[in-house]
Amino acid sequence: MEAEHKTIKITMDEKELVVPDGITILEAAQRNDIHIPTLCHHPALSNWGGCRMCVVEVDGSPKLAASCVMPVREGMEVVTTNGRIVESRRTVLEFLFAERNHNCMFCPQSGDCELQKLAYELGMDHLTVSFSFNSFPTDVTSDYMITDHNRCILCGRCVRACAEIAGTQVLNFHNRGPRNLVGFDLNASREESTCFGCGACLQVCPTGAITNRYRTHYAVKGHSKDLKATESLCPECGLLCPTTSQVHDNTVIKIEGKLLGDGDRPDRGQLCYKGRFEVLKGDGKRLVRPMVREKNGTWKEEKWETALALVAEKLKSIRRAKGGEALFGLASSALSNEELLLFRDLMAKGCSAGHVGSLDGEHFKAVSKAWELKGEPLKEASWKMIPEADFIFLLGANPYKTQPILSTLVRRSILERGIPVALAGDMECMPPFATFQFPVKDEKLPLLIKAFRSEVAAAGKKVPPKSKGSSKSKEGAVDVSGLLKEAGLAKGAKKSFMEMVAAFVHSTHPLILVGEAVTGLKSPSAFQDAMKLALSKGLDSGNVLRLMVLKPYGNSAGAWKLGLSSNGNSKGKDSWKGGLLYLGHPKDLDSSVSADLGNLDFLGVISPYFPETLADCAHVVIPKPLSMESSGSYTSLDGWEIGFVEKILDPAEGVKDSWETLNSLADQIGFRHKFKTWEDLSKNAVKAIKSWRPAEQ
Amino acid sequence: MAVPKVATVWFEACSGCHMSFLDLDEDLVSILSKVELTFSPITDFKDYAFPELDVGIIEGGIGNEEHWELAQKLRKHCKILVAWGDCAVFGGVNTLRNWIPKAEVLRRGYVETESTVSGVIPNHEELPPLLDKVLPVNQVVQVDVHVPGCPPSAEVLAYSLVSILQGRTPILPNETLHFD
Repeated sequence: MEAEHKTIKITMDEKELVVPDGITILEAAQRNDIHIPTLCHHPALSNWGGCRMCVVEVDGSPKLAASCVMPVREGMEVVTTNGRIVESRRTVLEFLFAERNHNCMFCPQSGDCELQKLAYELGMDHLTVSFSFNSFPTDVTSDYMITDHNRCILCGRCVRACAEIAGTQVLNFHNRGPRNLVGFDLNASREESTCFGCGACLQVCPTGAITNRYRTHYAVKGHSKDLKATESLCPECGLLCPTTSQVHDNTVIKIEGKLLGDGDRPDRGQLCYKGRFEVLKGDGKRLVRPMVREKNGTWKEEKWETALALVAEKLKSIRRAKGGEALFGLASSALSNEELLLFRDLMAKGCSAGHVGSLDGEHFKAVSKAWELKGEPLKEASWKMIPEADFIFLLGANPYKTQPILSTLVRRSILERGIPVALAGDMECMPPFATFQFPVKDEKLPLLIKAFRSEVAAAGKKVPPKSKGSSKSKEGAVDVSGLLKEAGLAKGAKKSFMEMVAAFVHSTHPLILVGEAVTGLKSPSAFQDAMKLALSKGLDSGNVLRLMVLKPYGNSAGAWKLGLSSNGNSKGKDSWKGGLLYLGHPKDLDSSVSADLGNLDFLGVISPYFPETLADCAHVVIPKPLSMESSGSYTSLDGWEIGFVEKILDPAEGVKDSWETLNSLADQIGFRHKFKTWEDLSKNAVKAIKSWRPAEQ
Repeated sequence: MAVPKVATVWFEACSGCHMSFLDLDEDLVSILSKVELTFSPITDFKDYAFPELDVGIIEGGIGNEEHWELAQKLRKHCKILVAWGDCAVFGGVNTLRNWIPKAEVLRRGYVETESTVSGVIPNHEELPPLLDKVLPVNQVVQVDVHVPGCPPSAEVLAYSLVSILQGRTPILPNETLHFD
């Protein structure tokens, strides 16, 4: 700390500079607007000093020094540019160009390449050395990235990003000398490797060695100078990662994370395969005109007014004939708070529907019952607490699937802080990293939690949970070996299990991450046991539990807090009868839901794509914009924050947004909601979410 | 002063650099009035007797034995040799084949092309054999002026040629450099 405050005097390019002691020459130059070219250096990564592009002359020494790694010293005299420095930089650059295939005219990165920019900057109009024409492999196995070793300059940015940002250490240098290349694991392909597809390596790659599988073709992407950048948040999973989207001709060319940090976020600007790549995938042909299924089963395009009037008419007539109870509203929890609230009001108040719910509402049922165990509302742990946790228990959770960046934070906690991590359930999310692993089938998870809880109670002379009556006296008598055996674990698992119990008991800031495998169980008892386990370690300040729920969709927390809990199909297969209106992307519908939608008198769908799985049972399909094509607020995974997602693209041609569509339906049904404008709706949605208390459920 | 003699040749390349030069439009007239254009793809006049030249301009990489020989002759008879475009300077898009064996390249090009029916690899004593790898000109003979770009813009080509004619060595400003 003291070193940071102490300043020293140096001379750079004949200018007297006062700079903090301990920084590098490069940092000193950057703070004083003196340009030094760099290549292997990246501000978000540790210093490397490998490429020698940033060399400078220090105190007239005949040997040039790499400014990115050399610290400043009192009285130091630095020259950043002169003939021999430029000559040295250009020679290094020529070697890099000569070593592999750096022919710009057939490289997808041309125009957006740091190597190319440096060549222009240093006036490299030809090479004085001959090309090697060595051949290196190209890895096209991944769905997300192409790795062309022929374009690689071995700057090691990707290797550092993989270790420092993604926390995976999948990428590393393989081979030696001229055969040196960046490889995956122990010489695997990217697809076979343990690469999580986060794309941190892609974002820091200065050349075309790692390129995006989507939209990198020259003909599509245009020149980087023609791109328009929009700052937004990613609404895909609830972590609301800050993004910069580059748009050209109403097409998103690339989405990048904020590697230079953003507030108190511990993720270091990493994005994941969902936010960086999946959203660029097309899901087939966009629906731009409403469709109506005719009597003979064929689908026909219809005018907006006619289709909307048909939906309104159907909802009204079912309500007239069978009452509001025969109407259902079902929303995907991937929608914005505004869409959810507007839809909820339209269905619940406007149509007096029997039930308005969300696709993943079932998961909330188990959670909501447990929320008030201490008699007052508890706050769920925030994902930002992971870097402070000293024990992490992943219980039936697969963060790689639900919130990929969380799996990074957990892995980094293991690699950087060496904390114990226990894994129960799906082993896919971080096999080589967890200290304790219990591959237990979902339905057997309650047994493991039960055994865990009882052992913790027995081991800790610290206070066992104040459970409301019942099993307290019996807890000592639980047969742990029996439970573990019943859960399907091998005999040797007992030892590891007891070590895990000890680690948990000794921890002061444990965190339990509960996933779909537990919240999706029929009985809520397993979740409640997990809650009690968390409570046994006390609350964090502000009534914060040491437990969080990894929710299935991007705005599950918002949907749940807006009261869109169970999906309304609780009574079994036949309960959905009458009319149902679904709002959301067809990909959010899993097969168990779509299979139950077959017996309805009327099924209306408002969706950005035609719902192929519902082609035989839906009656009217109305287009809607994608999340990228509309702005809206989303609730964070932990429910603590609300983030605003910007509109990045214009909606597909002629598509009306949800505000227009739902308002038109409301008008025709004869319902007037209280929101005058979209902004008004947004304010109300945010207010409703912020003032949510579990008692309302 | 005698009118400077200039020749241009088109080696392994697409002729885009010559096309770009033609983009000079009316300025082309003023440049051509100051020089004697001896042989060139533009004049389509072939004079392999090789007069002594002031400026020789090469578009394209050295891809076959004819290119190789012509480059040597040009070097011998030119005061100043200029490499036009990425192919002449770096090898360019033709270097795609440098990572593939020659026999495979010829088979793919003449026999296995989707539109080819019973194709044959051309083989005649008058046809120059393909080199194993296409090379930038400066790896075969010494080059005095490099003008990279795919293609270089008409302005850059004119700037470099006019500078030479005025007796200066053109150094392209860094902001005009581009490799694509």
